[in-house]
Amino acid sequence: MVRILLRFSEDIVEQPITSQIILELKVPINIITAHVNSKGGEVLAEVPDESLDKIVKAFRKRGAKVSIPKLIEVDTEKCVSCGACVTLCPVEAITIDEDASVVFNKEKCIGSTCSACVDACPSRAIKSVKQNNSELTANNTH
Amino acid sequence: MKRLVESSGIEVAFREVDVVTTGTFGAMCSSGAIINVGHSDPPIKIDQAWINDVPICHPGAAVDLYIGATAMSERQPFEYGGGHVIEDLVSGKEVELRATAYGTDCYPRTQIRTNLTKDDLNQFYLLNFRNCYQRYNCAVNSRDETIYTYMGKLLPRLKNATYSGAGELNPLMNDPDYETIGIGTRIFLGGAQGYVIGEGTQHEPQNLNGTIMVRGDAKKMNPEFLRGATFTRYGTTLYVGLGIPIPILNEGLAKKTAIRDEEIFTNVVDYGVPRRNRPKLAKVSYKELKSGAITVGDKRIRVSSLSSLKTARKIAATLKVWIEQGEFFLTAPAERLPVDTVFKPMRQTEEVSFVANVMQKAVTCSETEAVKAVAERIVTRSVNHIVVVDGNGKLTGIVTSWDITRALAQGKTALADIVTRRVITAKLDEPLETASKRMAQHNISALPVIDNEKKVLGIVTAEDVSKLLGR
Ligand code: SF4
Ligand code: SF4
Repeated sequence: MVRILLRFSEDIVEQPITSQIILELKVPINIITAHVNSKGGEVLAEVPDESLDKIVKAFRKRGAKVSIPKLIEVDTEKCVSCGACVTLCPVEAITIDEDASVVFNKEKCIGSTCSACVDACPSRAIKSVKQNNSELTANNTH
Repeated sequence: MKRLVESSGIEVAFREVDVVTTGTFGAMCSSGAIINVGHSDPPIKIDQAWINDVPICHPGAAVDLYIGATAMSERQPFEYGGGHVIEDLVSGKEVELRATAYGTDCYPRTQIRTNLTKDDLNQFYLLNFRNCYQRYNCAVNSRDETIYTYMGKLLPRLKNATYSGAGELNPLMNDPDYETIGIGTRIFLGGAQGYVIGEGTQHEPQNLNGTIMVRGDAKKMNPEFLRGATFTRYGTTLYVGLGIPIPILNEGLAKKTAIRDEEIFTNVVDYGVPRRNRPKLAKVSYKELKSGAITVGDKRIRVSSLSSLKTARKIAATLKVWIEQGEFFLTAPAERLPVDTVFKPMRQTEEVSFVANVMQKAVTCSETEAVKAVAERIVTRSVNHIVVVDGNGKLTGIVTSWDITRALAQGKTALADIVTRRVITAKLDEPLETASKRMAQHNISALPVIDNEKKVLGIVTAEDVSKLLGR
């Protein structure tokens, strides 16, 4: 799965674009987070790797801006499980397990659209990294 | 021990347990290392020195240097510092020493540059003058902005909390009367064996804020228990792993080492207030802290630690194995830690200024007034800022003479259209330095002073500040 960030302007935010695309392309699109009001919207979604290209094209055709957010990667060698990052996560993707290890839940993390934990890490163990397919789509943005 | 005392009582525990091991792993800023780099040819009496661009102190004669954990790299400040230099050396990495000198008849050399590893050093001792705080504050931030402190990143309006310390695993907490800890106590330090060399600076035993001073051979240490670290916008430091074995000499110690997190309390302190006496908002136990959430008033706040409980446990366990395998022998202290030292605040012979010292009465207006009326007030009162208030004197915005001039030029008449509503403010008891810094940061020239209810008390301007601070 690849995560994509969709931005809808004021003019198109009322249209049911996402559901239209799901129906038209017969592909699953998982909404992870959504901030939408009458002035526009920002939606973070997850789509299958193999359909990424056509999904991105379909959104762009309808006037949405598509970008690929970076993901968070934790260097487990560097991480000392101090916990300094835990309370900064707005979606509670970082937890402490029984043996007092700090664990990141990649499924929950919303990636570079957030990054709140990155500068809180004293060991500098958290980095934003590009997703596999980001090269391909980033070039199409222009 | 804790479980044994609970299940079988103190007497049994005293008979069955010989030693309780403890551990802690956290940021200890008063850490450093003393190194001797040997003499060069021709010799140099080092005046200024850097290792990997981190400035190093030269407290002694020619080639003895002290690497302070909080000294920061000149090229990458806040990212790399003395703590990282110590970690790199301990890991066996090569570091670059650069030094300058004024040159003397016996030490003629004025410059040197060389690469060193720990094997090239004559002595490499970790030397920490304050370690192992018995317990520490839990930090929150009441301000409207995120702040970056030595207690980590604190979100605005008490949205998160951080704490430090291992609670019931902390060495001093298990022997609070220091019956077994003092000069010469052999300890686990950074993965090797080290010694307590006295009480730490700021040792405050009567307040359960004891500290220790320690020394250990860094050449034998392990980077797993000694890590360079950095607190964004605060500075660099060193995470130090430390453990002390407590021999159970009497029933009293059996009882004391059975201490639980729920019996150890600390204060929730507002780090949003930049004063020595920061407001204490609540009392919480380490049990609550370790549970992930605390309550302050009726607010539930997520809390997490800055020191690693996982590594603290590993330290206590490692120490236990060392003792069982006969690799580590306990020592009796030559002199116990003092129990009566007090920690005094600094004697200040020069007066400090606070916002209250330079604050003036604010010239105010209400949002319903016409631009022209406000323009007139700016002229008659000869000020540059008018603070906008509601019927109760509470802050709603600010307008500057520049805003007014522009509004007049553009033919705008309603004040409401030109008011700046996101106002940067100051508090009465805030140090002038921080208020002045905030003005520079936001590129503005005045701050309305408000109380906790947003009521306007006055205004402080950059002009008044520079008159007083003389810059
Ligand atoms: S980037 Fe944001 S969402 Fe992801 S783990 Fe960090 S704080 Fe949580
Ligand atoms: S702040 Fe960094 S070192 Fe600490 S637990 Fe989080 S990722 Fe690990």
